[in-house]
Amino acid sequence: MPVVTKDMIPLIVKTGASGRAHGDAAPSFQVGDKVRAKNFNPPTHTRLPRYVRGKVGTIVMDHGVFVTPDTAAHGLGEHPQHVYNVAFGGDELWGGNASPKDKVYIDLWDDYLEAVAP
Amino acid sequence: MSHDHTEPPADIELRVKALESLLTEKGLIDPAALDELVDTYENRIGPRNGAMVVAKAWSDPDYKARLLTDATAAIAELGFSGVQGEDMVVVENTQDVHNMTVCTLCPCYPWPTLGLPPVWYKSAPYRSRVVIDPRGVLSEFGTSVPDEREVRVWDSSAELRYLVLPERPDGTEGWSEAQLADLVTRDSMIGTGFPKIPADIQ
Amino acid sequence: MNGVHDLGGTHGHGPIAPPAEEPIFAHDWERRMFALFVPAFGGGHFNVDEFRHAIERMDPVHYLHGTYYEHWHHAIETLLIEKGAITREELDAKIRQLKGEQ
Repeated sequence: MPVVTKDMIPLIVKTGASGRAHGDAAPSFQVGDKVRAKNFNPPTHTRLPRYVRGKVGTIVMDHGVFVTPDTAAHGLGEHPQHVYNVAFGGDELWGGNASPKDKVYIDLWDDYLEAVAP
Repeated sequence: MSHDHTEPPADIELRVKALESLLTEKGLIDPAALDELVDTYENRIGPRNGAMVVAKAWSDPDYKARLLTDATAAIAELGFSGVQGEDMVVVENTQDVHNMTVCTLCPCYPWPTLGLPPVWYKSAPYRSRVVIDPRGVLSEFGTSVPDEREVRVWDSSAELRYLVLPERPDGTEGWSEAQLADLVTRDSMIGTGFPKIPADIQ
Repeated sequence: MNGVHDLGGTHGHGPIAPPAEEPIFAHDWERRMFALFVPAFGGGHFNVDEFRHAIERMDPVHYLHGTYYEHWHHAIETLLIEKGAITREELDAKIRQLKGEQ
């Protein structure tokens, strides 16, 4: 295992460690598509919060291809896929308990989403 | 129930010291590297970096356009990059939209531009509430946004890190970038506040 | 996992109460704990997803009461032991040794 020494710190700090993955995964969705966040409830690591599961939103950005935390956290590999930013209305997420004017824009992996008829 | 000042277990200091000591003895870490990291993030990287990005965007329309298209590259032009800011997105406040950022799950934060996050950003009250009641959160910060404006909350659940580009205050025509940077607060780049106005610093 | 860390939209956590100013680190052990992350991560002992999941696996009450750097301490100590970089026994021995010196 490499040991991080003092002189390595400036370069490490400046470069970081991007979560972008190399790989040509094809996107399932495009900007403007209506999607539903899946309702899955794994006991293992995921970055799909409960508050968006089963809710319908719209793809607003395609960030490109990244490592998938659901697999990477358990030694199951990088499984590169597209990550999108998806917009959800306050009323869609919270029912009558939040303003439809306000929105949550959240980053979600391709596998977290399913198509919805337009 | 107060959440900011729960005392950690009495032996946490000892346990951290033991961990560092053991790892050093086994040759797995170099304590001088730790010292360098602490110095970097306590003294050298902080919200002043983000303020300079914002000030430049306010002064230079071409830079602003680059910032909104490829934030990582534009921010790196000013020398800011790296750990927890490898993939940046800048979101602009306008008359129609007020942006706020959060990481409900952990929390993540754009270190190269804002330094290390404040305790409130990392804690349960903010993380739980801002996605469901952003205007209630804003009023806790003494901030309010007109009813007609959309409040847009960005939950950085992946590795993208979001920075808010606040609106430039009135009465700052002809100001230098350094003067403009003095108006940009950390909270205005998270979205829980607005920048200072000229009257605040004169 | 459906852990308590998944806080979005939950109620009852009390006021945010942001102070006007606060130090970056409240205690010296927080400085050391923060700094330990980079060499532990850079040394290849774990990746960032394993790190986050280790925090999620904390006892729920410990998670909610604990501060940010306590979470980091839990995760890094847990992962280094699970990955075999150190053992529970040698860490406990070191803790006893330092306690004896106090």
